[in-house]
Amino acid sequence: MIKIKTPKLKTLESIKLHLDALFTGAKEAIKPGTITIEYPRERRKLPDNFRGYILFSPERCKSCWQCSFVCPANAIKMELASNNRYYPSIDYAKCIFCHFCIDTCPVTALKPTKIHDVVYKDLEEMYTPTELMVKPPKIVREEEVTVEYVMDGDIILKKSKELDELFPEIEPHVEIKEHSVCIDPESCIACGICEHSCPVEAITRETIGQERHLRIDIEKCYGCGICVRSCPMHVLKLVRIREEKA
Amino acid sequence: MEEIVLDVPVQPPTELFLPVPKKFLEDAYKGDDYLVLVGPQHPGSGHMRIILRIKGDVIVEAIPDPGYVHRSMEKLAETRLYIQNIPLFERPAIMDTGNVTLGYVRAMEKALDVEVPERAKYIRVILAELSRIGTHLYDAGILAVFLGHTTGFMWPFALREPIVEAITRISGARITSSFIIPGGIRRDVPWNVLEFVRKTTFVLERRLKSFEKIFIKNPTVIERLKEVGVLSREEAIRFGLVGPFLRASGVEYDLRAVEPYEVYDSLNWEIPVSDEGDSYSRFLVRVEEISQSISIIRQAVNELRRIPEGKVISEDILQEYAEVASADIRGFFFRVFGELTLPLGEFTSLTEASRGTLLYSIISDGESNVPYRARVITPGWYYLKGFMEALRGERLADLQAIYGSFGYFPPEADR
Amino acid sequence: MNVNGLSGLNELLNELLSLLSMQHFLQNQVSIPLIQPIIDLLLSMPFVGYLVALILWKPMFALLIFPGLGTLMAVLLFIIWFERKLTARIQWRKGPVEILRQAGGVIQALADGMRYFFQEVIVHRDAHKPYFLQFPILIFIPVLLPLLFIPAGSIVGIESPYSLAIAVALISLIPVFIVAIGWASNSRYAYIGTIREAFMYFAYEIPFILAVISMILLYGTADMVEIVEKQNIPGIFLNPVAAFIFFLTTVMATSRLPFEIPEADQEIAFGPFVEYSGIMFGLVMTITYEKMYILALLMSVLFLGGGNGPDIPLLGNLSGVLWLFVKAMAIMVLLSFLRSIYARLRLDQALRLSWNTLMKISLLSLAIGIVANIAFGLGW
Repeated sequence: MIKIKTPKLKTLESIKLHLDALFTGAKEAIKPGTITIEYPRERRKLPDNFRGYILFSPERCKSCWQCSFVCPANAIKMELASNNRYYPSIDYAKCIFCHFCIDTCPVTALKPTKIHDVVYKDLEEMYTPTELMVKPPKIVREEEVTVEYVMDGDIILKKSKELDELFPEIEPHVEIKEHSVCIDPESCIACGICEHSCPVEAITRETIGQERHLRIDIEKCYGCGICVRSCPMHVLKLVRIREEKA
Repeated sequence: MEEIVLDVPVQPPTELFLPVPKKFLEDAYKGDDYLVLVGPQHPGSGHMRIILRIKGDVIVEAIPDPGYVHRSMEKLAETRLYIQNIPLFERPAIMDTGNVTLGYVRAMEKALDVEVPERAKYIRVILAELSRIGTHLYDAGILAVFLGHTTGFMWPFALREPIVEAITRISGARITSSFIIPGGIRRDVPWNVLEFVRKTTFVLERRLKSFEKIFIKNPTVIERLKEVGVLSREEAIRFGLVGPFLRASGVEYDLRAVEPYEVYDSLNWEIPVSDEGDSYSRFLVRVEEISQSISIIRQAVNELRRIPEGKVISEDILQEYAEVASADIRGFFFRVFGELTLPLGEFTSLTEASRGTLLYSIISDGESNVPYRARVITPGWYYLKGFMEALRGERLADLQAIYGSFGYFPPEADR
Repeated sequence: MNVNGLSGLNELLNELLSLLSMQHFLQNQVSIPLIQPIIDLLLSMPFVGYLVALILWKPMFALLIFPGLGTLMAVLLFIIWFERKLTARIQWRKGPVEILRQAGGVIQALADGMRYFFQEVIVHRDAHKPYFLQFPILIFIPVLLPLLFIPAGSIVGIESPYSLAIAVALISLIPVFIVAIGWASNSRYAYIGTIREAFMYFAYEIPFILAVISMILLYGTADMVEIVEKQNIPGIFLNPVAAFIFFLTTVMATSRLPFEIPEADQEIAFGPFVEYSGIMFGLVMTITYEKMYILALLMSVLFLGGGNGPDIPLLGNLSGVLWLFVKAMAIMVLLSFLRSIYARLRLDQALRLSWNTLMKISLLSLAIGIVANIAFGLGW
């Protein structure tokens, strides 16, 4: 426990404190510790893990919908593309840049950038469909200097002519292969919802005599998990391929 | 854009809306009292209306009218996944993201019975203490500008910049880090960032020295704050003050010491306490807390040297993804947390946030992936009563001094 | 009307005409050797010559150029920018830079003023409309008139044995106008602010006048021209106590921090001026700066030797102007500097300070004034 005592001001002490304050001010007026960064002429160097504008690579996406499920602000909407698959689109009027979607994406289809200053004409324009998410927005870079805060005894503004890379190379994370299996065929009611929901037509229903069988093509299935969530009887499950081999 | 024409007969209100009972108003005017409504759109009120009944220059009674920035956090929480509530709950408190998230996550961990890896615990403490320094500096700035001291306003806000920079390097976002998740943190923090955090503390210490000369020990500031808004020890307890404001009235109570969470019990730090209970001591206690937090951060960084990098998310929560995601949640976030369901029951956590006790209470029905009910009581709401009582009998100009000394933050209190 | 009367009228007319003639202006002309050829050229032109002679006529020069209107406007534009820049520098910021970037944003105040011009002036329902709109303009009378009495070297608008007394009396009128502005605003915060202004007015006025009287006693005259002449040693060394009182009361009178009590934007939202918008706000906002300018001039005349200083032959009469300007600006810079150092005191603390401490010290300064007068033999 530290006891804090408030000072009692006597005339002499008070004069000393007045002078202290005045001298401190004068010192700063002569040699200021300015830390202003003159944006946009100067731009701050941002760390590589900066959470900014999100880019999307559709060739990696497997339409698993997880990004739209996890979005806390309901900013991600899955749009039906011409190839009959669903791709995310982001409404930047809602997005809060928590990057839960990027942490969620199992296949690194969503990529963070350091772009954080995008201008829109109106609210409707802030809705960014998939086509626009593929390429970065048009950037006017006015800055000539990149400033970095270096903490070395005092705040030092390290200025360099080198422009900050806005699209950092992110190390890809570990990906695990999964596929869907039916864990309880007895309970399957053969409703066919999973068959219709599958984006790659890996699930087929077969009628052999009186019995209906669910067949999942492991080669085609890439573990998006849509069927797992759409199954009304909760009999489907994602399993890891590695475990299957073992 | 299509224009929508509303053909609704709208009548402007004929009577003025009064946030106080009419009788109160009449009583005030029958005597020679004067009713001043400060706020919510006033440079020195924050987002709250304070109804002051003034006799001469002395405040006879102060009635708060909170709720101007109420955002129904608790109700919204009932419609979101457990994990989605993390960004939601850190909205109310600017800068206090570390502590606010920590409280909610700890309530969830209590329910799930998760043991957090030690490295994650230290990094969480670093984040929480950075937030604490940031909030105290923010409040010091607001106090200064309320007293008309613009340098005292600008300097703490400038000093927040290194802290914001440190939080950015740790989590990727300047203010709303959303970095603490059940079972640990989102990803491991590299060593150069931790070194940056450690160096930042020295910069803060150095610059706070000149801040002390120009603002903290400024004679005009001392005159304005000393013996203003005094709350005695008994009053402070009766009005339910929390945090540094309770400690300023002479009660040695800090949740980090009373019910140690994370790694606070293994670190060396002191609880600053003052006996005076006036506005100045409320401010000084928080200034001392900044230096304590700096010391905690340095110790935590030093402790991290001996813990190898890697595992920062608990296996209890990762389960089957433990060996691939324990250092970085990337790729498994929804798979791990999407279907997270808390067991049946009510789970409460108490956290020492920057401005005082922060309570989270989550009621789970045991089967759904959203909370049945989430109760959040922020420190601002706890000490609002004490704040209003401190105003009584002071001068009108002291409203801002006392306001600033409490660091009252309406968005936090209104939730 | 008889013949005598007519001739009397003729004489009067002739006298008037001779007063308005160019020759009369040229007798009492500001001489600037540096640009004398240009002035001579201009004077030889038919109509321009008359105008130039009029402007260079010393009383007119005092009214229009220095210390009058022209310099006042320039100082207003400069000091508002400079104050922001200095405050920014102390506060680790950069201050206004974007408007005229090459010169560090020096015309920022002009740009703000222009913006005010195009803003709507809102007169709210409860205001007393005529007074609400009149007073911010009428307040220029007590602001501009004292400038005529302040001598800048040999340039002085009106010479009078009572010039100091008249100037101080006119300056004392400014708070009356501010109180009137607050009354016309008829709003709650304006009311509180006006009362604070009135309290502060009484609090600083007495020590202020006592400090001035002590200087009158010291120099043995209330004529500012004579006061400047008598200052072989600047007044600040003769009577430092009075200088201190004068400086402190200047801070109070111009409601600078730490005595920014009547305006106090965080407490009562700019006090008496809370209801103003547009160019009217621009006018009321500059009142304190104008007051600061006069008081700084007065202080440099009383304590820093006014226009005294090393004579610069090339500038001729402007040499005194330059020295007075430099001294006044130095005081204004000092006043601007205080803004970033201090917090605002409470009304009762400021009142206690001025009615108690300042009053005592100002009585002491009176005594010092009398003693110094005798000791240095400045005579009556």
